[in-house]
Amino acid sequence: MVTTPEARTRADALAADTTPEARTRADALAANAAASADATPARTAARRGGHPAPSSPPTGRPRRARKIGERDRPLWMLAPGGILMVVVILVPLVLGLVISLMDLDQYTLRQWISAPFIGITNYVEALTKSTLIQSIGISVGYAVLVTLICLPIGVAAALATQNRFRGRGLVRSLFLVPYVLPTFVVGTVWRTMLQPDGVGNAMLKNFGIDGGLWLNGPQSYWALVFVQIWASWPFIYLLVLSGLQSVDSEVHEASALDGAGWWTKLRYVILPYLKGPITLALIISFLHSVNNFTLPFVLFGIPAPADVNVLPVLTYITGFQNFRFGLSAAMAVISLILIAIPLFIYLRAVKLDTGEDGGSRVRK
Amino acid sequence: MVPVSASNTIAPVRVTPHRASAKEGARQAQIHRLLPKPLLIVILAALLVFSMVPVLYIFFASINSDLAVARGAFWPTELTFENYSKIWTTVDLGTGLVNSVLVAGGVAIVCAGLSVSTAYVLVRYAFRGRLLVLRGLLALQSIPGTLLLLPVFVLFSSAASTLGVQIIGTRWGLFLTYLTFALPFSTWVMVTYLRGLPRELEEAARLDGASPFKILTRISVPLSWPGIVVSGIFAFLLGWNDVLFASVMTRPESRTVAVSLQIFGATQEGGAVPVYGQMMAAALVCAVPVVVLYLIFQRYLVGGLTAGGVK
Amino acid sequence: MMKKKLALTTALLAAGAITLAGCASGGDAPGDGAGALDGKGKTLNVLTDANTLYPEEQQKWFADVSEKFKAKTGAEVKFETFASANDELTKIQTSVVSGQGPDIYSLGTTFTPTAYATGAFVKVSDDDWKKVGGRDRFTEASLGISGPDKDNEVGIPARSRPFVMAYNTEMLAAAGIDKPADTWDGLLEQAKKLTHDDVYGLSIAYGDNFDPWKFIWAMSTQAGNPIIDGKKVRLDDPVTIKAYETYFGWLTQDKVVNPAAIGWKASQALASFADGKAAFMPMVTATSINTLEASAVAGKYAYAVMPTVPPGETKRPSDGKEAASILSGSNFVVADYSKNKDLSFALIEMLTTAEEQKVYYDTFGEMPTNAKAAEALETDNAQLAPIVEASKLSVGTPFSGAWGDVQLGMTNVVVQAIPSLNAGSVSTDQIISALKTEQDKAQSALDRAK
Repeated sequence: MVTTPEARTRADALAADTTPEARTRADALAANAAASADATPARTAARRGGHPAPSSPPTGRPRRARKIGERDRPLWMLAPGGILMVVVILVPLVLGLVISLMDLDQYTLRQWISAPFIGITNYVEALTKSTLIQSIGISVGYAVLVTLICLPIGVAAALATQNRFRGRGLVRSLFLVPYVLPTFVVGTVWRTMLQPDGVGNAMLKNFGIDGGLWLNGPQSYWALVFVQIWASWPFIYLLVLSGLQSVDSEVHEASALDGAGWWTKLRYVILPYLKGPITLALIISFLHSVNNFTLPFVLFGIPAPADVNVLPVLTYITGFQNFRFGLSAAMAVISLILIAIPLFIYLRAVKLDTGEDGGSRVRK
Repeated sequence: MVPVSASNTIAPVRVTPHRASAKEGARQAQIHRLLPKPLLIVILAALLVFSMVPVLYIFFASINSDLAVARGAFWPTELTFENYSKIWTTVDLGTGLVNSVLVAGGVAIVCAGLSVSTAYVLVRYAFRGRLLVLRGLLALQSIPGTLLLLPVFVLFSSAASTLGVQIIGTRWGLFLTYLTFALPFSTWVMVTYLRGLPRELEEAARLDGASPFKILTRISVPLSWPGIVVSGIFAFLLGWNDVLFASVMTRPESRTVAVSLQIFGATQEGGAVPVYGQMMAAALVCAVPVVVLYLIFQRYLVGGLTAGGVK
Repeated sequence: MMKKKLALTTALLAAGAITLAGCASGGDAPGDGAGALDGKGKTLNVLTDANTLYPEEQQKWFADVSEKFKAKTGAEVKFETFASANDELTKIQTSVVSGQGPDIYSLGTTFTPTAYATGAFVKVSDDDWKKVGGRDRFTEASLGISGPDKDNEVGIPARSRPFVMAYNTEMLAAAGIDKPADTWDGLLEQAKKLTHDDVYGLSIAYGDNFDPWKFIWAMSTQAGNPIIDGKKVRLDDPVTIKAYETYFGWLTQDKVVNPAAIGWKASQALASFADGKAAFMPMVTATSINTLEASAVAGKYAYAVMPTVPPGETKRPSDGKEAASILSGSNFVVADYSKNKDLSFALIEMLTTAEEQKVYYDTFGEMPTNAKAAEALETDNAQLAPIVEASKLSVGTPFSGAWGDVQLGMTNVVVQAIPSLNAGSVSTDQIISALKTEQDKAQSALDRAK
């Protein structure tokens, strides 16, 4: 959504002002609000449909302002967050990289700084002698599956609660309960429910299905997928729901005049608006699933059944159970590379990180 | 989209339904409906069952007898609320809740503030390496916590020997960790949010000679409340849910409720019959603050992500 | 703001305490026994396992100990607890790597070799043994896992939790069995006799993360395979394969175990026994008394030592050990980085006196390691005799830094076999191939041992 109610009020207040200057400012404000919005096909179409085009081009900012902007850039405001991220994430990450080159185990842990440097030996061992590759396969497969299944559920839920109806607020809140329950609680509860003689199988029996084993064996994979979907679909729902709010009323009006059926309207008018939020939601949801340690750990315990020996659990066992901290760090680094690189190629392709803002301006 | 019509264009979604006649409201609802009514009802019903049955089960189990839960009963065979009074002594839930509220709450507030200022600079100013920083924010999301756990611990504990500041075992350690882990996503939300905001008011203020900091606090922040609330809530959830870091960085007096619950759960495997009822009751009690918080901020959350998600 | 202030105060206080402790320890008097120490202004941090069976009693015990020790030496004692074995390991690791943390750890016995391997814990010298009341204060069996040999010991026995077998006296009497068998084969025969309708002969926790390896280890050790034999891991030994076959066979072939047990943790297996649905419950400790006394089998159960003759045999082979249980319980270890070592030993001395250990047993049901206390208990309480007996017949698991890997490997074989177990059969080939993998992993871990 480009303009918030507050911004609107402000614009209105300015518009009510009688001075010519204030009026121009308000004009510009509203115009820019329209222009800087995503230029999705639907919106352009709607705008063409009888609404005056903005009076000034979106990039038509006064030249002077930019110069001032460049002169006293308050880069110091980046400092607190920047320092924190460097100290608490980047430095430990580098430390992790160093550890991945060391033979750090129970015998050397005490004087870890002087643990022997063994180059890429850990990496070789991780790739050739461990189940790392299988684990990456399981993790990526499960994360993709979860994300892809969550998507239609989240979208459907958002579309269904878009309309005002009695009790909508309650329904919206109830939808979010699984998401806000702590992961540890989710794991404990589902582990209780999925036991061989637990309530899950008792219910399946009512339908004449023998549930079998959920916390070990091939079905454990599906148990993990199912529970993760249960707990994380509302995240996508939230992002899509908010994306829907940004669809202007006139878009609805226009498609109503066209007499488009609900599916046509959804497919060609509404969905293009949701591309942005959906992309962001997919990426974050994927990463959360890939890196989720608590859920598989609580659900299956360790050692994990082979079918759900996901990456975080493997690195945890290697490090914190077997004391092979060097090997564990190497595994984490490899998986980071294997997951992050394709992700960033994708990111560049969808241009999630470029907007119509300072950066694109200066590059011109 | 001329100023005069500004209130109208936004109205149907947000404002007008309160004022409009019933007939107009019905027409609006008709136009805005995205799904045919039968489909809508099916979806709502299916999803409510899907998400609420397990939650109901938690509640039923919390008032049921432990043996019945172990047998796989869904409906409670007896009603007892004493689990809800027992858990406060079995688990140190009180201390845990206080710590969690302090840590997660502190993280939420500070993180929201920091992410606004960081995002503001990233969106409004050009500088070398800006794109790198933006991409980095997403990259930081993909680092697994299990890789960072030991190094972060080493780093924090070295603060005691080098700086003479004891971080491990205090709430500060957790606060700093969660704050930093929450920052990338929160900043990202704010970046996308601020991008959507009109720039003209800021430009005008700048022409009047206001400092960047003043512009941020007087103009951008008041316009960004929804986004700020979103950032804060995500940061809060991160601090509330983590077990991995909290279990090694806390002492009994600084333990968060997630750790208390984990400890409670883990010790149940030791020998005696699990006290399922108390476990479920504790789980629900631990979830309540988050649900309440969510209910309070729900309207902002939707509005805030709106802007955050568009681009 | 409030929070900041609080946290800041905490941080300052903690820093202050450390500085104080640092200064004070500079002038450490050579302690020759407790009482002579001045611990004023010092704080001892003790890490121990959380007891959720008796949470309130544990808090009270913490307070009592603190008070007593303060009266004795002037030092504060602060207790921290860990919830699970994983927590315990992580705590050791982070403390070792950072050189700070608790002064005293109350470690599970099987973690003592791991702790020893890090070299971050004080080797108890003759002098140190004197400070804790002398090595001969403790029962001989409990010292079995204090170190690789007598001259290199880190663990001071804290409490003993030997594993025994609970059985339903009523069921056995009804079937005309006068006492539980002392061979695994005999036990199986009895179990078969006792299995009918919804009552099973044995209650076994196949889904537990710790129980399974203890069975395998016990059967292997009784058959003469210590699993780690010098520089060699012997997981693929025929007697170990036989142990797995027996363990799985109870469910798949003999059908003396409830099929639902494939998902059970130890607590659920105990629950089934407590519900009167099983005749035998092997692999329990004395802490189960509390659960059983409050259950359907109250007054109808007794404990016995688990069989010590390996499966397939009628008498123990000559190289087999009479291992009734792993040497289970906890050891105190003192961290090498501790600035209050003498105080630490003084506290351990206080906690291992006969009186204190009696108090501990009365409150928590854990057996004393103090020889005098153990003896007194045996004569006082007939019900406990088998437990004391099992304690004497406990054998320490191999003292190697690689033990953790071996143990995890043994458990993993069971975890990965659960689906086949569910399907009704675990083939010998499958056991052999799983053991081969674990054998290789464990051997390479042992090769790294220094």
